[in-house]
Amino acid sequence: MIQKILIANRGEIALRIVRACRELGIKTLAVYSEADVQSLHVQLADEAICIGGPHSADSYLRADRIISAAEIGDVDAIHPGYGFLSENAKFAEQCESCNVKFIGPKSNSIKMMGDKAVAKDTVRKAGVPIVPGSDGPIDSETEAVKVARKIGYPVIIKAVAGGGGRGMRIAHNDVSFAKEFHVARGEAEKAFGNGQVYIEKYIEKPRHIEFQILADSHGHIVHLGERDCSVQRRHQKLIEESPSPFLTADLRKKMGKAAIRAATAAEYENAGTIEFLVDAKGHFYFIEMNTRIQVEHPVTEEVTGIDLIKQQIRVANGEKLDFDQGDVKFEKHAIECRINAEDPARGFAPSPGTIGLYYSPGGHGVRVDSHAYSGYTIPPYYDSMIGKLICFGSTRKVALERAYRALSEYLIRGIKTTIPLHKAIMADPIFIEGKATTSYMEEFLSRTPPDLFS
Amino acid sequence: MKRSELTVFAVEEEGFKLKIKRGPDGVPVVTGSHIPAKPAAAEAPAPAAAPSPGTPAASPAGPEEEPGIGFIKSPMVGTFYRASSPESKPFVDTGVKVQENTVVCIIEAMKIMNEIQAETKGTIIEILVESGQPVEYGQRLFKIKQG
Repeated sequence: MIQKILIANRGEIALRIVRACRELGIKTLAVYSEADVQSLHVQLADEAICIGGPHSADSYLRADRIISAAEIGDVDAIHPGYGFLSENAKFAEQCESCNVKFIGPKSNSIKMMGDKAVAKDTVRKAGVPIVPGSDGPIDSETEAVKVARKIGYPVIIKAVAGGGGRGMRIAHNDVSFAKEFHVARGEAEKAFGNGQVYIEKYIEKPRHIEFQILADSHGHIVHLGERDCSVQRRHQKLIEESPSPFLTADLRKKMGKAAIRAATAAEYENAGTIEFLVDAKGHFYFIEMNTRIQVEHPVTEEVTGIDLIKQQIRVANGEKLDFDQGDVKFEKHAIECRINAEDPARGFAPSPGTIGLYYSPGGHGVRVDSHAYSGYTIPPYYDSMIGKLICFGSTRKVALERAYRALSEYLIRGIKTTIPLHKAIMADPIFIEGKATTSYMEEFLSRTPPDLFS
Repeated sequence: MKRSELTVFAVEEEGFKLKIKRGPDGVPVVTGSHIPAKPAAAEAPAPAAAPSPGTPAASPAGPEEEPGIGFIKSPMVGTFYRASSPESKPFVDTGVKVQENTVVCIIEAMKIMNEIQAETKGTIIEILVESGQPVEYGQRLFKIKQG
């Protein structure tokens, strides 16, 4: 029985995990950097241990210190959150060998799905459609050009060790391909320590639609529906919603089954997400699997009524899923806006600093997952997301109107945030009509005057 | 403390003692005995103002800075030991002079006994933790008179 959990993360997700643990009567141990002493989850956890200096490399990425803290704190399990060490197979292995339960899949699944080329191959064998591309990494430029011509331009060059939208370049012809191939390899080496790349067909103006998976350790796997995450800027998600305004019931069924086949092929346990690209004709292609809980998990929680963090803990405890696919109902429409400390009027420049007045919205169908509070100083060392606003209702129309209303009430003084940007999107006809694809953000920004965001 | 008119604030609970007093330039100055495993978290569910300063580690907000006084801080997370084994003599004691490479204690992390060096020159004037006590990164282990 898990009785004490170490939370190896920070910010809003750490707070989310503390809350779930409190409801389950599980003790919490927060590990934190010197920059996060005043963080809300550190205050609310039962115990806290400082594990290093402000930079992530000196704290949240220090597996040795985290495991050491787990030992002196005598914990049963570690929840890695998202980012940081959550998809680090070596860390999951270290937990396994130290007899501390890693709340997530087995290290083997992380390894399999962490190599994007291996992941594609694994799911392809399970009958899941993949984006046409090279059969694994390509090291020579001559080979690469041949593959690109075979697939047909435009193509996208991706880092094997990449993910989260990083390490990707697009080429439209032979000439630009040569250049982009080398740039991609250089960037990959620098960002991930692995310069290997693979090539895929570039699907134009696709929708990014991902399926939430939940699997127990007894072989039961279900999907909890999709999230449409097409509104992205530079491959970073800004808005996620469920159900997708594009999917038909039939396509949802097909994709849900494919997602389960992919998770089965990965021998998956716990919560995970299968990401697909969907073109205008409804053809869907697997792009990657995220072997962790995701930022946008609350969207699925509000649509299905299922608490994903509690389910993660239950699965880690060895319990069977207490529902099957037929029990999963999609009762609401939910939409999430990621609130970042950035200035959309100034090219999304980061805006760290101290929050003066903080007032978050409330009322029917409004959920705020944020670690911010009046007087909180946002440290400059980590990502700029300070909270998530999730609004939901019986229909998409209600959810959108509610989101617009809630964003209007949301006050964060002293720093710049993306709240005005989200408000503008909620009122935009193309978004309201459910027509947003992954090219939406660029198009929206090009026709919207920046002072609309201040 | 800043927004109130308080000049001194003191709290004492079982195993924990905290005193904050407004220093000469208005900067709060904190003294207290430190418990790494249990932060004195304010019970308010959603603080309207900044959470109480007397929380988790005493290391980031520490005692008054006296001239010529420094601290040997823990570079890792683990269990502190004054000697290499229960039967051995402690590495250092109060009054002992240390060099940069003098081993002052052991911190055990994941079954590995790490020898911790002073990394400064001076005289030990106070030992701030006990053998067998869990310590966190940055925690003050020894008070040292520099030079």
